[in-house]
Amino acid sequence: MNYEKVLIAFCAALAIGIPALATAWAQSRIGAAGAGTLAEKPELTGTIVILVAIPETMVILGFVVATMILFTVK
Amino acid sequence: MIVRMSKIEIVGEKPLLQGVLALLRELGIFQIEPATVGFIEKEWEKDVRSFMLDEKTVFERLFLEELRQKIELLFAELPALAVRKSYIEPVSILDTVSKTIDRHRESATDLSKRREVLVKERAELGRYSIFLNALASLVQTTAETPDLDFIGLTIREPDMVGHLREALSRITNWKYELQTEPAEDGTLVGLITVEKTASDKVKKSLSDEHVPELTFPESFGKLTFPEKVTFVKKRADQVLREIQAIDAELARFTRRWVPIYQRVKEWIDDRLSLLNTTAYAFETRMCFFIHGWMQSEDLPRLKQRLRDDFGARVMVEEKEMHEEDLEQVPIVLKNPPYFKPFELFTGLLPLPAYTSYDPTPFIGIFFPIFFGMILGDAGYALVLGTLAFVLLKKNRHQGPVRDGAKILMIASAYSAFFGILFGEFFGDLPERLFHMEPLCMERRTAIVPMLAFSVAVGVAHIILGLILGAMNAFKHKIMKEAAYKALSVVIIVFLIVIIASLFGYFPLVLARPVVLSILFLTPFLFFTGGLLAPLELLKSIGNIISYVRIAAIGLTSVLLAFVANNLAGVTGDVVTGVAVAGLIHLLNIILGVFSPTIHSLRLHYVEFFSKFIEHGGKKFAPLKKT
Repeated sequence: MNYEKVLIAFCAALAIGIPALATAWAQSRIGAAGAGTLAEKPELTGTIVILVAIPETMVILGFVVATMILFTVK
Repeated sequence: MIVRMSKIEIVGEKPLLQGVLALLRELGIFQIEPATVGFIEKEWEKDVRSFMLDEKTVFERLFLEELRQKIELLFAELPALAVRKSYIEPVSILDTVSKTIDRHRESATDLSKRREVLVKERAELGRYSIFLNALASLVQTTAETPDLDFIGLTIREPDMVGHLREALSRITNWKYELQTEPAEDGTLVGLITVEKTASDKVKKSLSDEHVPELTFPESFGKLTFPEKVTFVKKRADQVLREIQAIDAELARFTRRWVPIYQRVKEWIDDRLSLLNTTAYAFETRMCFFIHGWMQSEDLPRLKQRLRDDFGARVMVEEKEMHEEDLEQVPIVLKNPPYFKPFELFTGLLPLPAYTSYDPTPFIGIFFPIFFGMILGDAGYALVLGTLAFVLLKKNRHQGPVRDGAKILMIASAYSAFFGILFGEFFGDLPERLFHMEPLCMERRTAIVPMLAFSVAVGVAHIILGLILGAMNAFKHKIMKEAAYKALSVVIIVFLIVIIASLFGYFPLVLARPVVLSILFLTPFLFFTGGLLAPLELLKSIGNIISYVRIAAIGLTSVLLAFVANNLAGVTGDVVTGVAVAGLIHLLNIILGVFSPTIHSLRLHYVEFFSKFIEHGGKKFAPLKKT
């Protein structure tokens, strides 16, 4: 019984952890490129904010899946 | 909201063009359109050409450009000092200035060049001074005899001294003296005293060994070493005095003449700007034409001023706006005082197209709600509200800081509202201290309800975006797009009904007809939205799920506050507990400003605006006095 709980928690952690790493990696690349762009064209701030924010969807979806694992898997 | 603009044509007698342009510049309400496209009918195009300046005006322009260049060159020679403002009438002194400028520039250039030479000499003297000062003490202990010669040198490496002594012993047969002293710049300087007969040999040997001998300029003449030291000091003082005298002279000149030249230059800039603007006008044999854009509400004022100043000799006509003009119309955003500060966020995006919507009111309505839902803590709201109040008091003039403070104030009010609903005041303090229950739900434990609430907000927001998009498309008679967006709304609603049926909120029997309805609508979706329509629909569903971040980030905030309060309890000491909790709450408040702001904006920029706002507008840039 306890083993199952550990497994569920581990799966939930994976569900949010892996997308979090993926988001971090994507944002690091986009952020670095965005910072370079802003140095030359500050008027693109809005576009850069959007581009940096886009990969966050991954971790949000990961969070949803993790929540579903924790609350629906019995 | 996007202000209604008018397409304007101003026609008048050619000699009045500059007067009309001057008036337009004074009013600052009219943007000139340099292109004729959309303004002049095709059959008239051959009779209309760009406005050509007459010979007298061309000469005036050349004269003013030359004078401006001379004034700029004069300014380049003068020091940048704060000077009084001159109120002299520039036109009356234009001729005088054109005659005096050459003399003044020559005089200023001479002074500047002289100063430059002196500064260079002072730098060189400084270099010799370092060397000579280091040797001064050595020279004083050395007997001054006519048979002896002194050779100064710089020794870069201290190890060289031994090697040098060996060489000197060999050349002079032990008849020499070498003294060394560290100089102010860290190098080692040396003074060799030898008999004059051996001097040349020693110098040659130093040259062969690549030991640099210090050579003095010709002005030092045949001075002895001690005399050189005194000479350098005297000359350095003299040069400094001369530089100070030139500086004083330049400052006096600047204070006396720069205000006058500055005044003349401003007038020339203004006049040349007006003359250059004439290039955007058009002419026929008798008349000039100016085309452009202005806010419709300003049109009566322009008509009145032109009538007052020029009578019936200048006419204004509001032209019909065609479909092809819409891309050229410049954009002015004007919002009520409540929404005005949110233009700070709109400014991060490209301007909306004239036919689209101003994003500001939408950000003004939804941003504080999302911010409040994410932060949702009355205590934090109190801190942020106080911060916003202080910022507002300290920044009384309009600007980004004041706008930001106003936004923070509004967002704090919403945070306080949601904080009361969630029963949060610096986390779960009300429950810990007074056993108070939340009015609505406790976010820390009610995770699934909070997720559902966030998604519900997302559904409402995205559907609103799609409806606005459909309305906009319908208004511009793009029926396929309007139908596609309306169909998307219907399918999203159907999908929600299916999910609600599956989870038992609606009767399960409802699911089958709704699925059939979706299947029935799918071909229409392809027809209106193209082959990628289902993909776009999936994107919209993804957009809705993205609103889960409201609950997710809110959860991190509430958990951090919970941890802060727990740690405070664990310390067992009131002072330490308050300090620990205070620090963590402070961190949470800092995060609570940035994180909700960025995520709320992202929900607007990416999820919401992509459904109905078209970008690509150009900023309204009216003709104004420089």
